[in-house]
Amino acid sequence: MMPKIANKPNESTIRVPFETPHLAEIAYKVLSVDQEPRRNFVQKTLSLDNDVLVVHFEADQVKNLRTAITSFFESLLLCQDTIKHFGGSGVPESSGDAGTQSSTDSA
Amino acid sequence: MVCALGIEGSANKIGIGIIKDGEVLANVRRTYITPPGEGFLPKETAKHHREAILGLVQSSLKEAKLQPADLDVICYTKGPGMAPPLLVGAIVARTLSLLWAKPLLGVNHCIGHIEMGRLITGAQNPIVLYVSGGNTQVIAYSNQRYRIFGETIDIAVGNCLDRFARIIKLSNDPSPGYNIEQLAKKSNRYIKLPYVVKGMDVSFSGILSYIEDLAEPGKRQNKRKRQQEEEVTDYSQADLCYSLQETIFAMLVEITERAMAHCGSNEVLIVGGVGCNERLQEMMRIMCEERGGKLFATDERYCIDNGLMIAHAGAEMFRSGTRMPLEEAFVTQRFRTDEVLVSWRQD
Repeated sequence: MMPKIANKPNESTIRVPFETPHLAEIAYKVLSVDQEPRRNFVQKTLSLDNDVLVVHFEADQVKNLRTAITSFFESLLLCQDTIKHFGGSGVPESSGDAGTQSSTDSA
Repeated sequence: MVCALGIEGSANKIGIGIIKDGEVLANVRRTYITPPGEGFLPKETAKHHREAILGLVQSSLKEAKLQPADLDVICYTKGPGMAPPLLVGAIVARTLSLLWAKPLLGVNHCIGHIEMGRLITGAQNPIVLYVSGGNTQVIAYSNQRYRIFGETIDIAVGNCLDRFARIIKLSNDPSPGYNIEQLAKKSNRYIKLPYVVKGMDVSFSGILSYIEDLAEPGKRQNKRKRQQEEEVTDYSQADLCYSLQETIFAMLVEITERAMAHCGSNEVLIVGGVGCNERLQEMMRIMCEERGGKLFATDERYCIDNGLMIAHAGAEMFRSGTRMPLEEAFVTQRFRTDEVLVSWRQD
């Protein structure tokens, strides 16, 4: 059970459009797995509106709302980047925007 | 025929590996290196991993000359480790699994080390010494579990080394432990340090405090004054590195030997980041030879955290029929070695 939220919660809804409903569903599934930490008093609800991922936050304090949204965005951006990079059928030949820096370790 | 891609990112290394029926196809890795005197923090480490991971996935596929369609399963480190960096690997693994319509498996990091060590060295049923920056365990296999025989009761051996390297401001490149090892080679003067073995367990935090006082005398004001024995004060950093290594490795050799005697085993396998320390390997080898046993160890490619070990352990799990629904593809900071049912071993 989620802890009780104050009578007038701070709320925020984020709508993130994707190219296709299928990709929106992938993001929905990927991002639904992680639960909010139990003690940050934030409720996060994900849903799908056709090709739009809808995320709703409710928190007792603005501070907690911000923390939850910040960490959600980090996951969302990574998921979007992965889709952008590998969403085609094959492996992209080369694209520099995936944060590829110099060489890798000789692992 | 199982072809697996593994993603490892539980600490400051982010690595991707691809393995096909025990054959290594790709093993790429990037390390987050902090300035001397500083350790790696969860948030910054996660940021490093986020910036590196997609490029690494791409170069691993290129190195393996594979298309995503050739893969059978995507594996990632489920734990133990730091949550923010672990989550980076998990998010990418989940997304790739859905994009490419491949099954997903979460792998225990320690099991990854053990299985990789067994694959590379060919050790059949060894006593495993797993030593790294976050873990110190002596492990033996019995009845489909890797059972923990002895472990640290406070900090990991690698953590002790890393933190000592920070105190004396050694470089973290390529790793603090490597630099301690090199500096230790310049000395053979032993400074007496506490030796803390408690039954099958070991403890390093007291040793760290003690050597911290030796390295920076007078830094901690309210410490109890040590009795005035013939206090040595003309030791060098090299002497301290040498003495620290000799002491803590001797402790590890002792509990490993006891585990061997208890289990009647004559094989030892060293895995984990500290396992590539050649002095530790040398001390362990001497012990093994005295008992008529054999030591198995690997080099830094497979000892230090890598994606390949996650791919390999995941492939073994997949082959034995383990499956994981997406809802269970979370990460967990605490995940003990003996929680995993070793379904791929029948002995």
